[in-house]
Amino acid sequence: MVGREVSESCVDSMIIEMVSSYCDRFCSAKPELAARRIEAIGYQVGLQLSERYTMERPRFSDHLEAIKFICKDFWSELFKKQIDNLKTNHRGTFVLQDNRFRWLTRMSIDPSETNANTSDDPSVATTESKSAQSASMHLYFPCGIIRGALTNLGIPCAVSADMSNLPACSFVVRIKA
Amino acid sequence: MEDYPEELRTPPVTLVSIVGFPELHSTISTYLHSEQPPINTLALPDFSKISVMARNPKDKTLDSSSAQPGGILKKDWLLKHRTRSPAVIAALILLNGYRVVARGRNAKTVVVVVQSTENDEVSEDRIIALRKRAEVDSKYLLNFVSDASQLKESLNRLGSTFAELANTYYREEGKRIKARIEKKNTNSLELIIRYCFKVAVYAEFRRDWVEALKFYEEAYHTLREMIGVSIRLPPIQRLIEIKTVAEQLCFKVSTLLLHGGKVIEAMTWFRKHIVCYKKLVGAPDVVFLHWEWVSRQFLVFAELLETSSVTVPNTSSQLSVMLEKGLTEWEFNPAHYYQLAAHYLREKRLCLEVVLSVSEASPSSAADGIESGSVSVIPSVFIGQFSQLFEQEDAFRTQPLTDAEYILYAIAEGKRFQDSFEIIALFKKSFEMYNNLKAQRMASYCGHLMAIEYFTIGDFSNAKQLFDGVANLYRKEGWVALLWEVLGYLRECSRRLSSVKDFVEYSLQMAALPISSSSGSQPSDYKRKYGPSGPASLSQRQSIHNEVFELLRGEYTLSSNEGSSDLKVEADRPVHLEIDPISPLRVVLLASVAFHEQVVKPGASSSLTLSLLSQLPQPVEINHLEIQFNQPESNFIITSPQRSLLDVRSGDQQDLRVETAPFLTLHTNKWLRLTYDMKSDQSGKLECLSVIAKLGPYFTIICRAESPASMDALPLWKFEDHVETLPTKDPGLAFSGQKIIQIEEQDPQIDLVLGVTGPALVGESFLVPVTVTSKGHNVCFGELKINLVDARGGGLVSPRESEPFSNDSHHVQLLNVLGPDGEYESQSGPDNIRSIQHSFGLVSVPLLNFGESWSCKLEIKWQKPKPVMLYVSLGYLPSSNEAKEQKVHVHKSLQIEGKTALAISHHFMFPFRRDPLLLRIVKPIPGSDPTTSLAFKETSILVVNARNCTEVPLRLMSISVEVDGDDTGRSCRVQQGGGSLPSQPLLVPGEEFKQVFSIIPEVYLQSVGVGTVCLRWRRESGLEEQTSSSIIAAGAVTRHKLPDVNVEMVPLVVSLECPPYTILGEPFTCYVKIQNKTKLLQEIKYSLADSQSFVLSGSHNDTIFVMPKSEHILGFKLVPLASGSQQLPRVTVTSVRYSAGFQPSLAAATVFIFPSKPHFEMEDKVTENKASLLMNEQIS
Amino acid sequence: MIVCIAVVGHQNNPLYLQSFTEADDALKLHHIVHCSLDVIDERVNNPKKTGPTLNETFLGLLYPTENYKVYGYLTNTKVKFILVTTDLDVRDADVRNFFRRFHSAYVDAVSNPFHVPGKKITSRTFAERVSTIVKSFGLSTAV
Repeated sequence: MVGREVSESCVDSMIIEMVSSYCDRFCSAKPELAARRIEAIGYQVGLQLSERYTMERPRFSDHLEAIKFICKDFWSELFKKQIDNLKTNHRGTFVLQDNRFRWLTRMSIDPSETNANTSDDPSVATTESKSAQSASMHLYFPCGIIRGALTNLGIPCAVSADMSNLPACSFVVRIKA
Repeated sequence: MEDYPEELRTPPVTLVSIVGFPELHSTISTYLHSEQPPINTLALPDFSKISVMARNPKDKTLDSSSAQPGGILKKDWLLKHRTRSPAVIAALILLNGYRVVARGRNAKTVVVVVQSTENDEVSEDRIIALRKRAEVDSKYLLNFVSDASQLKESLNRLGSTFAELANTYYREEGKRIKARIEKKNTNSLELIIRYCFKVAVYAEFRRDWVEALKFYEEAYHTLREMIGVSIRLPPIQRLIEIKTVAEQLCFKVSTLLLHGGKVIEAMTWFRKHIVCYKKLVGAPDVVFLHWEWVSRQFLVFAELLETSSVTVPNTSSQLSVMLEKGLTEWEFNPAHYYQLAAHYLREKRLCLEVVLSVSEASPSSAADGIESGSVSVIPSVFIGQFSQLFEQEDAFRTQPLTDAEYILYAIAEGKRFQDSFEIIALFKKSFEMYNNLKAQRMASYCGHLMAIEYFTIGDFSNAKQLFDGVANLYRKEGWVALLWEVLGYLRECSRRLSSVKDFVEYSLQMAALPISSSSGSQPSDYKRKYGPSGPASLSQRQSIHNEVFELLRGEYTLSSNEGSSDLKVEADRPVHLEIDPISPLRVVLLASVAFHEQVVKPGASSSLTLSLLSQLPQPVEINHLEIQFNQPESNFIITSPQRSLLDVRSGDQQDLRVETAPFLTLHTNKWLRLTYDMKSDQSGKLECLSVIAKLGPYFTIICRAESPASMDALPLWKFEDHVETLPTKDPGLAFSGQKIIQIEEQDPQIDLVLGVTGPALVGESFLVPVTVTSKGHNVCFGELKINLVDARGGGLVSPRESEPFSNDSHHVQLLNVLGPDGEYESQSGPDNIRSIQHSFGLVSVPLLNFGESWSCKLEIKWQKPKPVMLYVSLGYLPSSNEAKEQKVHVHKSLQIEGKTALAISHHFMFPFRRDPLLLRIVKPIPGSDPTTSLAFKETSILVVNARNCTEVPLRLMSISVEVDGDDTGRSCRVQQGGGSLPSQPLLVPGEEFKQVFSIIPEVYLQSVGVGTVCLRWRRESGLEEQTSSSIIAAGAVTRHKLPDVNVEMVPLVVSLECPPYTILGEPFTCYVKIQNKTKLLQEIKYSLADSQSFVLSGSHNDTIFVMPKSEHILGFKLVPLASGSQQLPRVTVTSVRYSAGFQPSLAAATVFIFPSKPHFEMEDKVTENKASLLMNEQIS
Repeated sequence: MIVCIAVVGHQNNPLYLQSFTEADDALKLHHIVHCSLDVIDERVNNPKKTGPTLNETFLGLLYPTENYKVYGYLTNTKVKFILVTTDLDVRDADVRNFFRRFHSAYVDAVSNPFHVPGKKITSRTFAERVSTIVKSFGLSTAV
């Protein structure tokens, strides 16, 4: 089946709208609930995408193989690039680093730059933390996608994201024993 | 397989007949039987009995001609060759007593000449004669010596000859029959089959398995051609015969293949066999015979597989063959075949039941005849055939049966067996095998079928037990359709077993299953296919629901088929169901309870939402609900306004709170949400335990309450694509709601004050006053807990100390708790708890009424300067009613610094103007530690410095140098300069105090302990604390350990003697005294420099010799030329031997010159000396 | 002829089970499908005995019952497809082809945003597509 293509800006807009809807309208009082909802949407998307992208390929024999699939084929399908760096402690924790995470490249405020340019203006500090917060809100969706995909592949796990230097972003996968 | 005759089941064994000499028979038989391969013997005492052996049938020519044979295989043919038709006949004779044997057909003959000993002469002639008469080859004329020494050898000879001859015999026989086949002189298929069979059997006799297999297969294929061709017998019996023969052939082929290790071939063969014959059902009246036959095929093959311990192929080549043949690993498992055997036997039972019901409806006279036994049916001479036996006068006559007669016979036979037990046994076997393989689903299926069989024969308790196990698996994996069927059986079992509660439970489970399809028309045989409850459908669920609720309301009586008692629910037989989170009834009623808050103050109210859900297909009316908590006084009842309260309140529930709800009806898959206020005065946790729903006069459900946050999805329904709603309207509460709420403690109305001023000082007993003041509460049963914790987290016990409980090992230590007046608390009562440990204390607080206060003092001692957290907590009851009240706690903590009070330092020096030569100082040995060196037996001066490091003034009480405890005897004499302290000096913060000691080392050692400086001091506080306890007055001690010193022998001591002051212009003498303490002559050089302030006489430069143990005095006369403090001319003394120079220090070489004689009285000499000492010290 | 096709979830729960026979033997087919899960477990846990190559989604012939042949397929997401057919002579290639088409129909069905993962598949479009695939079973090997 030929993959149908979707305009990237459409996807970007949709994600931005989804995040803002949950954060500002549905669950404005409870950011954890908003995060949970967004993650749940990502989870279902990941579940369904993994179903599609693992078609026609042999079953994975171990966790590493599945994680590699996420890093390579799955990521390529989603973002037209692979994960740049994969680290593991061999005890169930994997760190997937994308040096230029597509959904963060359009973020207007880059905390590292503001850090460099501005001194101790408190208003800047708050906007900065706000932007970091909203960026982290945007990361619940991809975290959910990874968790959904891995869970569907039989690997229950917890996924968190770290974006200390945008637009690089690393996803930490902890496999539940 | 056990039903097969022995001769069919086991491979054939050669038969040899021995005739004559009965006394030797047992020896020979035993020997031959133990041969490998074994040989059976047919022993005849003499030749007169030889007729026992099978003779050639006289109708042989008739048989082999074109005339139709009566059947395929004769029943006794195999047996005959095993027991009556020997391959070899051995005649045991004495040489003289031989007569010609009437010879068997083709049997080989051996003549055995029996001799009692070897020495019996046997003449050659007689042997030859004998051979001719008996027509045997000389090879087969054997000697048998019955003598013990020769017996073994003779037997061996006998055995090998017999084996060889038998082999020849069977080969020839085989060849003979084979020739008949090859000649194709008959077109009777029966005969070809028979010949093939015989050839195969003869081959088996010879252990030629390959040929045996080939001819068995040949026979089998030929037999296959007979189907539909042969018209010899009536059609039903014709098929029966073919199948019976096919069964035997198949058995032989399978056995040979399996024992030959050709597992895959055996499987394939067997599968073809089944495929080939399964369709040959036969006449409808005897279909059951066909299924019985099929079942037996599977059973026999299963038993064969089981006994030949077959393993699943695991090499790749075998695997590929297996795949090619379409075999799967399960076909290598006997369980598979046992299961199928059971399945077909069940099929047989069902068909037989149909036939029986028909035959009972129309009994025929012929059946009566057969059953009455006037005629009896017996198996005929041919395998798979039956004939009728008539008793005519005194003779028996057999006669072929007609098909109709045969059917009657078969039915009558079929009736005699209880197939169900066999079916159960077979299913059980495969059930157990599957369980061992951990194939639980296959095992469950077998268990299911086994249970149905139990159900059929009316063993409901066994059936129920099995069904329950099966239902668990189906429930766990969500196979609703299968579960429905099993539950239907279970429901029926409970009804038959007269268990109302079980019946209700299973009925409710069925009614709440996720089945929504509407059923079509029920097929007539639905019970066979769907079990007692019919196909699953919504309408069935509804009717089950209605039925069970009618029963529960007492409106309906359930008839139990056992007849003992009808099932009825009434006042004295109510039904109580319990539902917990793992109960399968959770779909019937689910109770979720959520408090809206997590923590609440006592007496404050919090909302509680109770949500009930049921998947029953019809609305359920609840009479009332009772909510139960771990604090029973919080329990309450919810009723609907339609119900009167009278029937709710009964007995001990009089004082329960009653709430009303607008309606209490549960609709399918719709949460019934009820919210009420909850209040509790009791602190601790308040947990909702269960919800009791009263659903009718005699029916209650106790449902364990579940927290929405930790609630599992509904079993079975979680896979359904149906609307799921949250138990509470608020989604946050649905995610995080708990059935537990924490009720906080009352706010304490007590002041707990820790009055500490400033830091504590190391060594002192530091007092921390604690005051408890009641500001609203009475304090009853008060307990004060005191805890000391290292503020930096390092722990208060030094790990280095070996003794765990020594006082010094605790850096900070709680010593005591003193009463308010500073005295030790007296034990005032038995309830007065007191327990003090190093870092923990527990003290009881006396009863305090409102407004009263109580205080105590904690005595804490610091051994090391460490900050410490002091935690004090007071627990008490606000009133003396112990049972009712709950403890209230007040916590206070405080960080207290521990500081060193006095910093002590010290240094050593020599006496004024007296300098012993210490070689260590002059020439330090490289690498040695720079310890202080003191001169042996010379006075040295120790100056101790104590500085007040605190912020408060300290009073010094005493200072002394104490010998260390571990030193034995004094190594040096220490004397306090100036005696004891004149008065106890007061040190203001930062002030220093000095004390001088003189030390004379009395041992000559590398390292000598000097001792420890002990400083006793106390805080100098204001007047108000003058009254404080004796502990304070005793003061604290600070110790300073002096380092070890090095004591040296001194070779030379140089001392300078001159007056402390003189008067301008008055001459005085100054001496330099050089003491030689060695036993050597010492060469000393000295020089004297000029000085502007003095005029001096005496030699300026010289070398002198000081005699051993003596002293040399250099004297200079000096006249001061200037007043004031003046430097004496520099004297330099150099010891040549030690190349050490000496110059007196500036202080030592300074004198004060008065311009004129001063007008004050000079003190005595002692004071003068002391003043000089003090002066010296201040200068340095 | 294909008599039954089933989708079984990773908890071994039935997600979709459709029979294509006139006879009313749905229960029997349920039992067959359920029992075949044991074979799949065995194949997956002891890959040594596995027929086709290691970790292939197609599991091959699972086991023969009296009248049926049962084929299995296990996706990467631990979802099992089970095919029950009465045909005696079935070509592996046909079955593979069938499963491939069925898998893609399944993926489309569960990718429907209104489908809740882990629940039974109730989509009518899916049912129609499945019946088309079932009808064309064995007719041609071309995709």
